[in-house]
Amino acid sequence: MRSLHIAATGMLAQQTNVEVTSNNLANMTTTGYKRRRAEFQDLIYQNLRRVGSQSSDTGSVLPSGAQVGLGVRTAAIYRISEQGNLQQTENRFDLAIRGNGFFQITMPSGEVAYTRNGTFALSPEGTLVTAEGFVVQPGITIPAAARDVTINTSGEVLARLDGQVNPQNVGQVQTAIFPNEGGLEAVGDNLFLATPASGAAQAAAPGQPGHGTVMQGFIETSNVNTVQEITSLITAQRAYEMNSRVITASDEMLSTLTRLK
Amino acid sequence: MIASVKPPAGSPTGTPLAIHLTMDSPGYIILSRLSSQLRAQSLAAHNLANADTPGFRATRPVFAEHPAMQRAGHHPRGGREVDYSWDRASWRDQRQGPITRTGNPLDVALAGEGYFALETPRGERFTRAGRFTIGADGRLLDHAGHAVLNQAGNPIAISPGDSNIQIRGDGSIRSDNGEIGKLRVVRFANDQALRAEGDRLFDAAGQQPEQVLQPGVVQGAVEGSNVQSITELTRMMAEVREFQFATQFAEREGERIQTAVERILRRR
Repeated sequence: MRSLHIAATGMLAQQTNVEVTSNNLANMTTTGYKRRRAEFQDLIYQNLRRVGSQSSDTGSVLPSGAQVGLGVRTAAIYRISEQGNLQQTENRFDLAIRGNGFFQITMPSGEVAYTRNGTFALSPEGTLVTAEGFVVQPGITIPAAARDVTINTSGEVLARLDGQVNPQNVGQVQTAIFPNEGGLEAVGDNLFLATPASGAAQAAAPGQPGHGTVMQGFIETSNVNTVQEITSLITAQRAYEMNSRVITASDEMLSTLTRLK
Repeated sequence: MIASVKPPAGSPTGTPLAIHLTMDSPGYIILSRLSSQLRAQSLAAHNLANADTPGFRATRPVFAEHPAMQRAGHHPRGGREVDYSWDRASWRDQRQGPITRTGNPLDVALAGEGYFALETPRGERFTRAGRFTIGADGRLLDHAGHAVLNQAGNPIAISPGDSNIQIRGDGSIRSDNGEIGKLRVVRFANDQALRAEGDRLFDAAGQQPEQVLQPGVVQGAVEGSNVQSITELTRMMAEVREFQFATQFAEREGERIQTAVERILRRR
């Protein structure tokens, strides 16, 4: 009775679907979150009669074979890297990237992580850090005497010091792009790590070819579309029910068989 | 859908029918139907499980009648014959699946016939699921890392500087830096003869692919599964009932043989 196992794979797949959807809904208001989507693929097939095999010794060939598929499995859970909305916060160290790119963060372990969440602040030493206190690369230190800090679209940090008329360039925010953004590994806290699949990071100033621009005083909201998520939740739930229906039907057939006198 | 099980010839005395049609034949005939139906159920389960698999094609069973063995020269008179039900083949529904927008520039759907060609370690394979990404080495890949082929049969390379990638209806890919290549989209003389391998891939099974000149490629969209859940569910329910009907027939058949045996024994 293959259909029991096949329907079970279908139910498992739909369960994953619901899990992904619920994660999206839970992160509806997470800054810089990119929505995920589960994707499925058919499992291997059993050949009962192989296509193209000879059906007689005079060489006639079967035009189509008999194949039974064995169900479904999750192929990938991919991120949809569509731009989220930009929300104005008026906070001078909130940065949003418009277009491609990630901020580079030095983790306490020395590893470099990547994020689109640009809610930054200053450390006691005046260094630009994330909300967790990790240093934003390359390290930018704002002098204590700075009165007014402006970060322009190409990432230049301009500070007006006390007693000076012209703003001074005190650093340069850099963004990193990847050959394959989908290959980045999410490690939570809105952070990503580079993997062999993502390729090596290419860091440059925002606004360079391929890099998006930076906007000061804005954050990028998550790109979760609630209406879409609720609809896909309903679809997944119905698909789950249909697969469980197959199990009931198969069970009914089996019990008919066992009742056979 | 199930081959007709014609009523077995009565008991024309003196005919050689008894040679190939024994008293328990009806039991075996109904058994052939039950086992075919179990496979039909597996196919329905597989279709429903894949109702959300991009580019998936629903499969249906094809049943045929399988005439009972007949000895030469001993054909039953009056054309009465006995056929077993035989699940001969599976048939793939080739209807177009729904095309849904994803917004990803490297997602492509085929609005007409044809398959995208992929390079796998086992050779060239074909798929209708056009969910592609750029690999770390810049090649256009499917989700499992198989390279997508261009018209010359080579992988398509996209450099990191290529921004604003556009894929046009004829399958040609271009970016702001110019032409990149053209997707290889092929068709086959007999779609049914393709062998499904799983992972959304099809094997040509010896057929020669022909190039589709105007494939109707849609960028930023993916073709869904063409499984119609409602039809599939109704079909499955009907099958369960037919199955129950067939088992009842088998039960009655058992009773019939029992009474027959009892009667014969009583006569002695």
